[in-house]
Amino acid sequence: MLMARPEIQSIDSGAFPRTLPLDGIVRYDMRVNRYRAGDIVVREGDYGNSAFLVLEGELVIAGSPGIPAEQLGRIQTHREGLLKRVASLWRNSWVPEVRDVDRYGRQGSDHSPRTRRRGAYLQDVPAIMREQETIILKEGTLFGELAALGRVPRSSTIFAERPAVVMEVRWQGLRDIMKFDHAWRRKINDLYRGAALRSYLRQLDILSGVGQEQFSAISQNCLFETYGTFDWSATFRRGRPDEPVIASEGDYPDGLLVIRAGFARVSMRYGKGRRTLTYLGAGDMYGLDELYHAWKDPKAADLRLKYTISALGYVDVIRIPALVLEKHVFPTIREPDDLNAGAAQRNVAEDALMEWALDKRYMNGTQSMVIDMDKCIRCDDCVRACAATHSGNPRFRREGPIFDHWMVANACMHCKDPVCMIGCPTGAIHRSIEGGTVLINDDTCIGCATCANSCPYNNIVMVPIRNRKGVPVIDAAESGQPIQKATKCDLCAGRPGGPACVRACPHDALSRVDFRDFHVTAMD
Amino acid sequence: MIPLAHRLIVPLILSVAVFGALWVWNERVTKELGNPAIISGWFLFGVILFLGAYNVRKKLAAFNVGPARAWLALHIAGGLLAVCIFLFHTGTVWPTGFYEQILATLFWIVTATGFFGVAVILIYPKRLTDAGLEVVFEQIPKEVYNLRERAEAEVVACTEKSGESTLADHYVDTLDWYFRRPRFYFNHLVGGIGAEAWLRSHGDAVRRYLSADETSFLDRLLALAKQKTAIDRQYACQDVMRKWLVAHVPLSVALIGVSVWHLILVYVYAK
Repeated sequence: MLMARPEIQSIDSGAFPRTLPLDGIVRYDMRVNRYRAGDIVVREGDYGNSAFLVLEGELVIAGSPGIPAEQLGRIQTHREGLLKRVASLWRNSWVPEVRDVDRYGRQGSDHSPRTRRRGAYLQDVPAIMREQETIILKEGTLFGELAALGRVPRSSTIFAERPAVVMEVRWQGLRDIMKFDHAWRRKINDLYRGAALRSYLRQLDILSGVGQEQFSAISQNCLFETYGTFDWSATFRRGRPDEPVIASEGDYPDGLLVIRAGFARVSMRYGKGRRTLTYLGAGDMYGLDELYHAWKDPKAADLRLKYTISALGYVDVIRIPALVLEKHVFPTIREPDDLNAGAAQRNVAEDALMEWALDKRYMNGTQSMVIDMDKCIRCDDCVRACAATHSGNPRFRREGPIFDHWMVANACMHCKDPVCMIGCPTGAIHRSIEGGTVLINDDTCIGCATCANSCPYNNIVMVPIRNRKGVPVIDAAESGQPIQKATKCDLCAGRPGGPACVRACPHDALSRVDFRDFHVTAMD
Repeated sequence: MIPLAHRLIVPLILSVAVFGALWVWNERVTKELGNPAIISGWFLFGVILFLGAYNVRKKLAAFNVGPARAWLALHIAGGLLAVCIFLFHTGTVWPTGFYEQILATLFWIVTATGFFGVAVILIYPKRLTDAGLEVVFEQIPKEVYNLRERAEAEVVACTEKSGESTLADHYVDTLDWYFRRPRFYFNHLVGGIGAEAWLRSHGDAVRRYLSADETSFLDRLLALAKQKTAIDRQYACQDVMRKWLVAHVPLSVALIGVSVWHLILVYVYAK
């Protein structure tokens, strides 16, 4: 069916190598999804790893004012009232993971085997069509490619108003097609160029002094590159982390690399190994110093790259060609700083924490739980406080890797690049719009464990739930197995004063940190 | 992450201010020919209640009643203030009345355990970190069991491979004792190296009788024993870090109860 589609037929199958034929990509990286009226195809704010092509019927983009979060299966974090908190003093159950299971039936999710409709769906489509500004996606429209390739959240919710058939392409398939088919590459790059590139580039300091015409020329000439794999967590969990090299020390630079998503390590040769100088995240640049000096003083003896840059799992970069920079950018900027400026004053022992953190991929965490073991008296007040604020169930484990006297406990880090959010079939795991916290909606979680299996740090725990009488809840209709739910730290969303674990530590040993800031603090 | 010494500055200033206020008030009441002991007594009782409130705060994790780190600093400074007020109130370290002696006994034990607790929180965490192995207290029996299993497996493997029972005999006579349960409890508490010395001497004692193959088994056995030493240190220090509260908290509650009765007696007989 898919091979007969004009979008696929237009691809030159002869351009694909024998080891990676087009029909293989279609077979293994594409599938056909059928949606019923009200089914959500993608949710605003979700992280996804696939793009979509409308095959039959139409889909609807919900524009302004947007579909309420509750209808998307999200939880709204309301500030918890005083009475409820007082009641929690005696209502917290001694039995673990007790739920009001009747509540699940009252939500938008439907666990009934009769309908076999799982997760959140829109119940009153006509009302949504009346109240929302909508855009119709007709047959043959490609969408979702930016989120799939750029590792950015979906920008809007798309749903089926009437039954529709949609082709889903995994990001790997999309990447391979783009690699060998110029038309698809141009199409997707143009879509990105038109939709997001300009606003992204405008945020870069070095382009702030560039005029409108020059800016257009820059955005027209940018190249898009991806290194590493989306599902880097799988190899990382197996103990064989991927770290593909993007550019090596000693190479001649041909363009400035701007990190769009993911993280990259900057390192240099040191003894028989490599010493990490820093790491780069979204918005950071690599190669500027060398390119600038090559432009400023072309006769200088050594214009090669001073450092190696490698992808920490996955990184998405924009390459601005050297010629474009020399023509439009360098005349407008001051001499840039050397990436290694700070490292020269540090010894390797001072950088050991950063090396360790990068090897463990902790740079991803924005709210990592770090415990100073020189202060921690192992009293577990933090664990008890966590349990007290989560109906008697702690949402983290006071154990984890230790470097020197810093322990990174097994608590959700609320990652910049949340691997756990990719592939959740119901959108139960999501980022809160208010604070960026990664939350799980217990009502719409179907216990598939996709998030728990994806989390590189084992910070999501699947728990069998019990009803109010303490009896395990069994999926009697289908598997006969206990029903599980994904649980993790929610930073005490809705509780005043921030995470209870931090407030409960009498010795100021526990803190929630962004690793970039923490590294600097710890060195001090 | 602010060091305890820095966190104590404001609470200590507050304590000095409270004590100053008490002093001034006491002087005024004395000049007015009143009973200044009533004033200092109520101050002392108030401070003791405040110190007890720290334990209540732990139960109120769901409420935003201030960070525990601030409460601990206030608790320590408040404890020092309580000692000062106690001496001011009684005029002596050891009062003469029987009931007052019960009160004083409780007060000084609670104070002593409090000082011990401060020493514990300042010394033991770092000692545990330096041990190089972190184990959750509740998992220590399992860890010890696992190490013993591995040690016994090494001994059996050595016997099977070499056909000699020298190491096995030595294990049964000496090292088995070490692997049975946590050892050198008090030595670990004072930061001693008794366990290391014991292992070295018992390892060296048998080494001369072993072949090269058996020696490698002994080395592996001693490596396991080294891990066991680290676990023993965790056990001893974590045990004390938990148990000192078993004395401090219940005695504090008893002190509050006895103080209430003291107040009642004072008011009944003062009339």
